[in-house]
Amino acid sequence: MKLFFKKIGGVLIVFLVLTFLLSIGSLWSLRKSSFYKPSFLVNAVETSKFDYIILGASTGLTTLDTKQIDSILELTGINLSMDDTGIPSQYLMLKHFLAEGKTTRYCIIAPGVSSYNAQNEKLSDNDYRFLMFTNRDYVHDYYKGFEDTEAKILSYSKHAPFIGVSFYNAELFYPSLLTLLQPDKRNRFDNKGNYTYPVFQRNNDSIRFEKELKLAFRSPYLAKIKTLCDQNNIQLICYISPMEGTKVNITNSNYKSIDHSQIIKNKKYFYDKDHVNSLGRIQASKAFAQILKEVMTLETYVNKNGD
Amino acid sequence: MLFNSLDFAIFLPLVFILYWFVTSRSLKLQNILIVVASYIFYGWWDYRFLALIVISTLVDYSIGKQLEKTEDKRHRKLLLWGSLFTNLGLLGFFKYYNFFVDNFVEAFTFFGSEIQPNTLNIILPVGISFYTFQTLSYTIDVYRKKIQPTQSLIQFAAFVAFFPQLVAGPIERAKNLLPQFIKQRKFNSVQAISGFYLIVWGLFKKVVIADNCAFFVNQIFDNPTGYSSAELFLGAILFGFQIYGDFSGYSDIAIGVARLFGFNLMTNFSFPYFTRDIAEFWRRWHISLSTWFRDYLYIPLGGSRGSKMNQIRNVFIVFLVSGFWHGANWTFIIWGVIHALMFLPLLLFKVNRTYIDSSKLVLNEIPKLLLTFILVSLAWIYFRADTLTIANDYVMNIFKLSDGSLSLFFKTSKSILFTAIIGFSILIMLIFELISVQNERKEVILNTYSSLFIMLLIVFMGVFKNPSDFIYFQF
Repeated sequence: MKLFFKKIGGVLIVFLVLTFLLSIGSLWSLRKSSFYKPSFLVNAVETSKFDYIILGASTGLTTLDTKQIDSILELTGINLSMDDTGIPSQYLMLKHFLAEGKTTRYCIIAPGVSSYNAQNEKLSDNDYRFLMFTNRDYVHDYYKGFEDTEAKILSYSKHAPFIGVSFYNAELFYPSLLTLLQPDKRNRFDNKGNYTYPVFQRNNDSIRFEKELKLAFRSPYLAKIKTLCDQNNIQLICYISPMEGTKVNITNSNYKSIDHSQIIKNKKYFYDKDHVNSLGRIQASKAFAQILKEVMTLETYVNKNGD
Repeated sequence: MLFNSLDFAIFLPLVFILYWFVTSRSLKLQNILIVVASYIFYGWWDYRFLALIVISTLVDYSIGKQLEKTEDKRHRKLLLWGSLFTNLGLLGFFKYYNFFVDNFVEAFTFFGSEIQPNTLNIILPVGISFYTFQTLSYTIDVYRKKIQPTQSLIQFAAFVAFFPQLVAGPIERAKNLLPQFIKQRKFNSVQAISGFYLIVWGLFKKVVIADNCAFFVNQIFDNPTGYSSAELFLGAILFGFQIYGDFSGYSDIAIGVARLFGFNLMTNFSFPYFTRDIAEFWRRWHISLSTWFRDYLYIPLGGSRGSKMNQIRNVFIVFLVSGFWHGANWTFIIWGVIHALMFLPLLLFKVNRTYIDSSKLVLNEIPKLLLTFILVSLAWIYFRADTLTIANDYVMNIFKLSDGSLSLFFKTSKSILFTAIIGFSILIMLIFELISVQNERKEVILNTYSSLFIMLLIVFMGVFKNPSDFIYFQF
């Protein structure tokens, strides 16, 4: 029995030490890189005062082009959206943004539209992208706030990083090897955080908006974002991105919103039902810039002259 | 409970500690612990099906005791039929009822009579094909007076439900496993260490090779018409590695876990992809099932004795039954037929035992090895496809040689990563296996350093997020 425990115990200890070191190294490499948005914000974004930021899912990522909006309005913005995320992830991203000592006048939330109403929020598929910052309390507390297995894995990774790194090995370990060689490599977004879908041959048909979606903004995390924005003197705007055939009926007036669900009326501007392509992005960003300009002008007027 | 789950990672050390530190002084207590642990292990899926194992255990235990008491041939035969009827009846009902009803209805429809199918929503109990065959082997061996029936119900229950091999084998013979429950077990460090290493090797094959291969295999088999001939061909090859990694990985873990408890289970796979003809392949693939069919079906039918026609008939029956054992679908039956057709020429020309003495390979045997591997891989298409039509189309599209594109494997960064992981891990497996083959070993033997290397590969190359179930659980 002694021989067994000595031998296997030895193997297991060396194994744990090696996996621990490799995992720490992997997270360190990702933390120092620009591969995922959280580390991109820390390492590649030098600006600390923004006029606006966009936090969203794939809709926010591919609809609002901050380069185009900045050039129209001569503002400084950044797109911090991540695909396959929900409003909780956007809350975490805002916390991360503020923790970096950065400020913004406007925070544009642009999640998938159903996320606005979701009351039982789950950990999003891509929340592991914050794992390299799990030593920060707000990240760890965020993971701890969910019940699902993935959240537990991410939460335990604060003390045993190999749990998260092995579970998400394709998403964390291999990119970390890549970032060792190319620290500036970004995971499918440009230097202002944008990404776009290509233009496929689609029919030049006009869209009929037959489906209606009621938006009551019930998400508890949206309320948390609002509180955080209020505390930091940030104007929160809920953006509803263009959709192919769905119109939105907003039933809650507690949140400022920009409803662009029906702004694009031709199928050729869409990549799929929920996402515009690069042509649609130009249209949507232009329309958004116009509205943002009006919002900012109005705010300046109110600040000067009162209500 | 899956071997590659967190539940099992907690369960195994717990049972190990209870077994060696709490119950080690009493053989009876150790056996009771095995029965309880095995029932918990099995009940983790669906506790309701435990009743089937209990029924099977009680029936065969009682029949074994009755067989001991009587010398009357007619009575003994009746008892044997009782066991066959109960075990195969349960298996037939749960596994084959709907298949027979559907085919019965189709046959009637073909001849112009419309009848309404009366199929049932039956869930297949995990491992039923495995433990049924194991208990049957006990009764048949007692009937043939090859073994003495056990006097202890606990020992017999432990033999039937022994958790390492309960749900996917190896299908043990009473002659080998039952005596191990009767004698006092002493902890053997060398045996336990080899068990631990075998668990590591089995996990590597399952979590790294099989589950990564599943990424492409599932895509291809879900929509075979959407891929080029080259992609389809590689899909079949990858499924060959997937099923091997999956099933032999499970067997290795089972054998390894059993060794931790002082048991020796039979070898179930002996490097089947390093074989030079189909006969050799079948001597090294799922050995516990092949030998079961040899001993309890092929030889009683006459085996390779008698006329050529009898030999052909016997081979066909064994391969058909073997195919049907895997599942209630024509695809499995055709898979069996294909193997029979590949095996028969070797038997008829009396070259089926060419490689029986040595597994060692020489360089000029590589073409034979590749040919056997490709034939086996093509036959796997029938095993994996959902229907015969899909399988036929799949094979046809390979041989159309329409397109040599392999874009599926290099389409996105994710697919490139999976391609690299699969290629590297298969290469590692083949190197380890080749070394074992050339040293005429029965299994891959790891040491401290190689086990560490393999464990690191498991952690950083394994699939943990969406792991696949063990394929053989469905059988």
